[in-house]
Amino acid sequence: MVHRMIASFQVSLAVLVFASLGFAQARGNTERPDFSGVWTNYQSGQPGQRGGRGAGTQAELPYTPEAKRKMDEYQALVRPTGDTPGGYCLGTGMPGSMLGSGGYPMEVIQRADQITVVYEAHNEIRRIYFGNRVIPVADRLPERNGYSVGRWEGNTLVVETEQLTEIVSQRFAHSAQAKIVERYTLTEENGRKVLTAEMTLTDPAFYTKPVSETKRWSIVPNGFLMTYECNEPLWERHLEELKKKAPGK
Amino acid sequence: MNTVRLVIASVALIVLLVTSAMAHHSAAAQDFGRRVEIEGVIKVWEVANPHGRVIIEVTDAKGKRDIEYETHSRNNMYRSGYRDGMMKAGDKIKISIAPNRDGSDGGYITGFVTAKGDKVGN
Repeated sequence: MVHRMIASFQVSLAVLVFASLGFAQARGNTERPDFSGVWTNYQSGQPGQRGGRGAGTQAELPYTPEAKRKMDEYQALVRPTGDTPGGYCLGTGMPGSMLGSGGYPMEVIQRADQITVVYEAHNEIRRIYFGNRVIPVADRLPERNGYSVGRWEGNTLVVETEQLTEIVSQRFAHSAQAKIVERYTLTEENGRKVLTAEMTLTDPAFYTKPVSETKRWSIVPNGFLMTYECNEPLWERHLEELKKKAPGK
Repeated sequence: MNTVRLVIASVALIVLLVTSAMAHHSAAAQDFGRRVEIEGVIKVWEVANPHGRVIIEVTDAKGKRDIEYETHSRNNMYRSGYRDGMMKAGDKIKISIAPNRDGSDGGYITGFVTAKGDKVGN
């Protein structure tokens, strides 16, 4: 009887220990830096000091001759009018959507299996998938912001983005074969969260070597994003045209 | 301290407006280093993204005429102080613009003061 009681106690103790270990491990897996919130361009709090993307003049990027030809062709087309995709309500696409965010703020919504990033300008949205949420490459369609897969290396969020469309209308122009790796880290300055992204773009079709850029944002306490409705005037003008063509007019 | 914060906020707003303007279209046509103030009467004021469209009846040495201007996006106008119903057609208005480099009528509105004294932008 005593032996059975001791055995029962030992089993209960073992269950308790394993359950505790499992709980601790589960907690460990979820205790990641929290990037959630609304972010603006990095502000040091000192007059005249700004962060954002790389300061100073922008160095010439090591474009391949083919990339340069395509970009020159595009510039010759739009330079006389100053047209841009944004002027036609089209988002910038990666990496410009990420590097340019902050003037128009960026919102990060973080879950264990997916991080959603909303750039206010043009309502551009990126979804960074983790683990079982990642679908096979064959099932992905190319997009201007690509398909992003995330993983954690300690407290650093590493995001790999592929399945991009070719874009020549931004500084970091790229082909559809481009791969972008972002490494996100969270720090604190004067009690305010600072988010840093170190971006590396690899694209042998457009660059003779990988190119990099660093971008920083500051948290906006109680910040909010606005909807970026853009096509409304175009639609209203179209309706006016339809009215003019309507029977009896 | 409050003055320092105001200066930082003002500089940040100017940078935001200018860089955001450049993000949507080439800013080469307007001189953002200059600011010209113009008074007139609102005929059309469309608050929209990526840019607003404004027509103001202006009377100056060249005579009375309607001039079309561009404004910043609806979202940035809001963050600069714009609120719904702040102005309407027929209202007097004073605008600050980055003028066209070629000297023609028009430009990019960087700020304005309504007839009621509401101030938006710079």
